Amino acid sequence: MKITKDYRFIGKATPRKDAAEIVTGKATYIEDVELPRMLHGKVLRSPYPHGLIKKIDTSRAENSRGVRAVLTYKNVPEWKTGTPRHVRVLDKKVKFVGDAVALVAAETEEMAMDALAHIEVEYEQLPAVYDVEQAIKSDAPQLYDEFPGNLMPLDVPVFGPRTLSSIVLGDVEKGFGASDFIAEGTGSYENIANPLPLEPPGVIAEWSGPNSLTVWSATQSASWHRFIMLSKMGFPDIRTISTQCGGSFGSKNYSAQPMFYAAALAKSTDRPVKVCFSKEEHFGAFVLRLGSRFRGKVGIKKDGTVMAVQGEWLVDTGAFSDMAQAQIAVGLGELQLMLKCANWDINTKLVCTNRNASGVVRGFGGQELESALIPILMQTLEQGNIDPVEFFKKNYVKPGQGYYWRDGNHWVSKSKDYTEAFERGAQTFGWAEKWKGWLKPSAVNNSKRVGVGVGVHGNADVGEDVSEAYVRLNPDATVTIHACVAESGMGQRSSLCKMVAETLKLPLERVNITPPDSLINPFDFGLVGSRGTYAVGSAVISAAEDAKEKLFKMAEDVLEAAPDDLDSEDGMVFVKGSPDKGVPWRSVIGLMHTCTGFGRFEPDYSVPNFIAMFVEVEVDVETGKLDLLRVVTATDVGQIIDPPSLAGQLHGSIGSAGIDTAIFEESVLDGNSGHMLNLNMMDYKWRSFAELPRFDNTILETPIQTHRYKAIGVGEVSTSPGPSAVFMAASNAVGKRLEGYPLTPDKILEALGKINL
Amino acid sequence: MKAFKHITANSVEEAIALIRTHNGKACLIAGGTDLLGVLKDEILPDYPAAVINIKTIPELDHIKKNNDGLKIGPLTKLADVVAHPLIKKRFSCLSQAAAAVATPEIRNMATLGGNLCQDTRCWYYRYPQHVGGRIMCHRKGKGPCQAVKGDNRYHAIMGAKVCFAVCPSDTAIALSALDAELEITGSQGVRNVSLNEFFTTLGNILKPDELLTNIQIPYPPKGAKQAFLKFTLRKPVDFAIASVASVITMQDGICKAARIVLGAVAPTPVRATDAEASIIGKAADGVVIEEAAEAAMAGAKPMRMNAYKVEITKTLIKRALLSIFQ
Amino acid sequence: MADRTDQRRDSIVLIVNDVTHEFGIGDHRYQVAACDTLAKTLRETLGLSGTKVGCNQGACGSCTVLLDGIPILSCMTLTVECDGKQITTIEGLQNKETGKLDEIQQAFIDHSAFQCGFCTPGIIMASRALLNKNPSPTETDIKDALSGHFCRCISHYQVVEALQTITEKKKK
Ligand SMILES: Cc1cc2nc3c(=O)[nH]c(=O)nc-3n(C[C@@H](O)[C@@H](O)[C@H](O)COP(=O)(O)OP(=O)(O)OC[C@H]3O[C@@H](n4cnc5c(N)ncnc54)[C@H](O)[C@@H]3O)c2cc1C
Ligand code: SF4
Ligand code: FES
Ligand code: FES
Repeated sequence: MKITKDYRFIGKATPRKDAAEIVTGKATYIEDVELPRMLHGKVLRSPYPHGLIKKIDTSRAENSRGVRAVLTYKNVPEWKTGTPRHVRVLDKKVKFVGDAVALVAAETEEMAMDALAHIEVEYEQLPAVYDVEQAIKSDAPQLYDEFPGNLMPLDVPVFGPRTLSSIVLGDVEKGFGASDFIAEGTGSYENIANPLPLEPPGVIAEWSGPNSLTVWSATQSASWHRFIMLSKMGFPDIRTISTQCGGSFGSKNYSAQPMFYAAALAKSTDRPVKVCFSKEEHFGAFVLRLGSRFRGKVGIKKDGTVMAVQGEWLVDTGAFSDMAQAQIAVGLGELQLMLKCANWDINTKLVCTNRNASGVVRGFGGQELESALIPILMQTLEQGNIDPVEFFKKNYVKPGQGYYWRDGNHWVSKSKDYTEAFERGAQTFGWAEKWKGWLKPSAVNNSKRVGVGVGVHGNADVGEDVSEAYVRLNPDATVTIHACVAESGMGQRSSLCKMVAETLKLPLERVNITPPDSLINPFDFGLVGSRGTYAVGSAVISAAEDAKEKLFKMAEDVLEAAPDDLDSEDGMVFVKGSPDKGVPWRSVIGLMHTCTGFGRFEPDYSVPNFIAMFVEVEVDVETGKLDLLRVVTATDVGQIIDPPSLAGQLHGSIGSAGIDTAIFEESVLDGNSGHMLNLNMMDYKWRSFAELPRFDNTILETPIQTHRYKAIGVGEVSTSPGPSAVFMAASNAVGKRLEGYPLTPDKILEALGKINL
Repeated sequence: MKAFKHITANSVEEAIALIRTHNGKACLIAGGTDLLGVLKDEILPDYPAAVINIKTIPELDHIKKNNDGLKIGPLTKLADVVAHPLIKKRFSCLSQAAAAVATPEIRNMATLGGNLCQDTRCWYYRYPQHVGGRIMCHRKGKGPCQAVKGDNRYHAIMGAKVCFAVCPSDTAIALSALDAELEITGSQGVRNVSLNEFFTTLGNILKPDELLTNIQIPYPPKGAKQAFLKFTLRKPVDFAIASVASVITMQDGICKAARIVLGAVAPTPVRATDAEASIIGKAADGVVIEEAAEAAMAGAKPMRMNAYKVEITKTLIKRALLSIFQ
Repeated sequence: MADRTDQRRDSIVLIVNDVTHEFGIGDHRYQVAACDTLAKTLRETLGLSGTKVGCNQGACGSCTVLLDGIPILSCMTLTVECDGKQITTIEGLQNKETGKLDEIQQAFIDHSAFQCGFCTPGIIMASRALLNKNPSPTETDIKDALSGHFCRCISHYQVVEALQTITEKKKK
């Protein structure tokens, strides 16, 4: 059923509302914001991976030119972030190279930098640990007194009292007993890659009273930013404003560290303070992906039925946990969506180590878990000679089937069947012709071996968390959406305007949305997961419907007709069927009045979305170089809202620490000194225009009944199946089981027996 | 960036005089694409008091034909080297090497002289001051080489003893294969050195008050064929993991003369003399090529993490020779 | 205090988007220090914040502006070395009289050739330089010309498409 053609805007490419600002350079990002009397904050960072500050002398820095404040662990506010709360603004103990030691606010950035050089610190160095399994040994250096064994608590109720931290179901022994093929081993996805939005993180903070803080930041979720910082900062009155955000991919949801620094410095100077990280700091002291190691066992039957999954998931969060428990919960849920299985026994350990911390990154747990586990799963498919496309088609969760989601509750899918989408994707890709069996290249040209791989990923986050919105009808037949939605690249602010314009049958240019400011908007959890279209969209649409209902109620007397018999188009209200006898909104609403509707979306975890990704790679067996030739995504979005924005979300699977974490993306940590060695955009590898794979999206539009426009999003799922699909393709290309990510030439040449490491 | 004074030099003599008056506390800036990175990150304990701009010296930016070959001024932009028709035709490996540097914008700014004189890219050496402090090492005059026990995936596989950083310059490899000669001018006068004499294990032979003032490239023998191959993880931006430049003269199917130079394998460009010897006088075939690659790498002593570079370099040598022989 | 002057002159002239600016060299707010990059001068001293600084390391292309028509990285350029030069930034592409957008800006709007938009000014400037030099570039020419531009959102496909429609329109 295709209904796109009946819509004015939905499903059609319309220019982004902020397009002109972006292409003319007028869009205002955090670095572009200048406030009167604003100071600049800079951070002195630790040279050691682990140590205690024995002595810190700031007197010279305080007297340095232009300096207005110097803060150390001795005089910062008692705020705490982390999950559970365990990370102070500054601490006496440093836990990674680059950890914050002191803060300076000065009239200019240069003056702040100059002052940093005048802070004298004496440290007592402590031994450090970088590997998860080393860290949990009894004699390992301890990062926190409160977390013995470097084990972070998993029973933090991030998603309520039953928050998922393990999957124990059925009887795995029985399951293995009934399996035809069993594989056991360790898979690791430990690139600790950086989502690396182009714009580094930044925050400006200003106190307008002792308890009243305004924060401008590059974030993708302004009201959540407020919500989450409230409890971290002892519940001051916080107003958060999102500037245009130069990319986030989860990482800038709330920038706790820069926010703490700016707010602390602003407090002690009583002036606005801007803290924008440099790219080096962005690499060395901001959000990374979780490290993920899975040690375990998978059993399947000849027909591809998964009989048992058992193992230990070791999650490395670096120097502190920032929502790692939440990612574990979601990751375990996502694994069950990808793999139906009756018998599970997966336990998790969350471990802290002496490196820059992990945080929120697109993929959110599931990408990390699956990328580590799939190499083991692949071996069972190899033993059984099972086509992975058939396997994934068979094993993802279909409507009517169940899974435990992040809240620990059992949910039954009310989503749709994605099998057709996957099959279409396979067709577009030419899977049937290219698939030659496990560890077999699909083509050989001299030293070049071509291989194919596939991955499937599901997520029940399209309906996660709460969204609220007001839609205000103005007498001049314009509409203002009040929703706390930031723009970090998804085009959602524009898409919401489209949904409202469609609902109210108004020209798109008559619909606008308020700035992402927590003071003027109701609550919205923000653009996390894939919830923008479904959750935020539903709230905004129902606010529009509510406003329309009110409008018709008001028009009852004017038009002498029951509200149900009324319709509105282009700012006129009329009796259905007689658009020529309408009255303008202003006659109904009144010139000095407005008409406002309210909408709310309540969480619902019963609508998982899925994506399949097919990849073709080429490996040069003489150099070990891996090239990505082709990507085909396959999904079903119910109804496309804006084709270019959707394409962008899917193409984005290459960036933001997605597909390329199987090819060349990684943060390189020096195992002796704890330094992050590739803190620059030469040594940290990213994909350029010169090496783009052919990229096709196969998108079905099977209406999803629970959304007004039958639509759901895909932003979060798009990156996740990529790394393991490439891993599979590369293994098939070279005819060898490979090991680890990213598959750089050294790893491939080693697997081929050409070098001994 | 931390403050410095900026001075514009209008002639070579003036530049030298300026360096001298600043007693080693001054440095030269050409395109600035390397130097500004070094200064922004404050990777060295010494920070210059003055930066002397040499882009304003008119006689250093030129590409001139003369009887012996081609004279290129060190201030010539890499983009101009790439676009020059004669370089493309007669010195193609230089043209290819220059085109393989960095990105289009950088090639519009970067100079050939700066490319030869650029500082090393060892990631310990380049660690920024502002994320916990610069890392000291042998090359900076304090402490051991960090790469020996550390992550040495990009470091030297031969010819290194104290500092294992590799020569980052792509054009140096091509210029060495082309047997280029460099003219150096200092307060003591002018001296000429071959390209390979220019590079040392810890950088180059320039004295503090010396400038690179000319690059002279002889015409390769008639009928000589050239190749430049660079291996990187990605086409743009990346420095070489390994590179090969070769200039080979064939006569009646027999190799008469050969220069094969390897890049990113050692602190300096490395002439693979054993490989050259192994092909001279021979007709090209698969076995000869194989032997040449093995000979070139016979002395390789990879570090803990970079044995793959040996394999890759071998492959590049083979491919370079194959492209020439075919 | 460190010396931030230029020994040879006490002022410089920049012609930015056809407007001539004269700056004293020094450390005051409206002066240019010897160590100031062009990116800093454009953004902070002239308030032309459309030029973005992504890496400040010469490796992402987001700070690209045209210097005498040639695309260069403003984060790796000293302002004092631009004396007398013509500089074009993203703010200078629109037609001054009519306000009409440059054809590339328009094509980027029509194709939504951006996501977060942080890389966009740099990419547009490099594209402008490409089309000035070569009005009908091939797909490979476009990709090569933009190969130094990082876009983490992966807008590459839409950027290439936008630029191709401009060249196709011209062919007609
Ligand atoms: C993102 C990025 C990628 C890069 N990729 C590559 C690459 O792939 N391959 C590669 O080879 N390089 C690469 N580079 C390094 C690049 O900076 C050099 O290639 C460039 O050619 C340096 O030239 P420049 O004129 O900008 O040098 P500058 O930065 O001006 O100078 C570099 C050094 O040389 C000295 N110097 C310059 N000219 C002279 C002279 N005539 N006499 C004496 N000393 C002089 C300067 O004092 C300075 O110490 C890359 C750089 C960046 C930022
Ligand atoms: S390789 Fe050279 S530059 Fe790098 S750490 Fe060792 S001594 Fe220093
Ligand atoms: S900001 Fe100049 S190249 Fe990245
Ligand atoms: S659009 Fe976000 S970096 Fe290019």
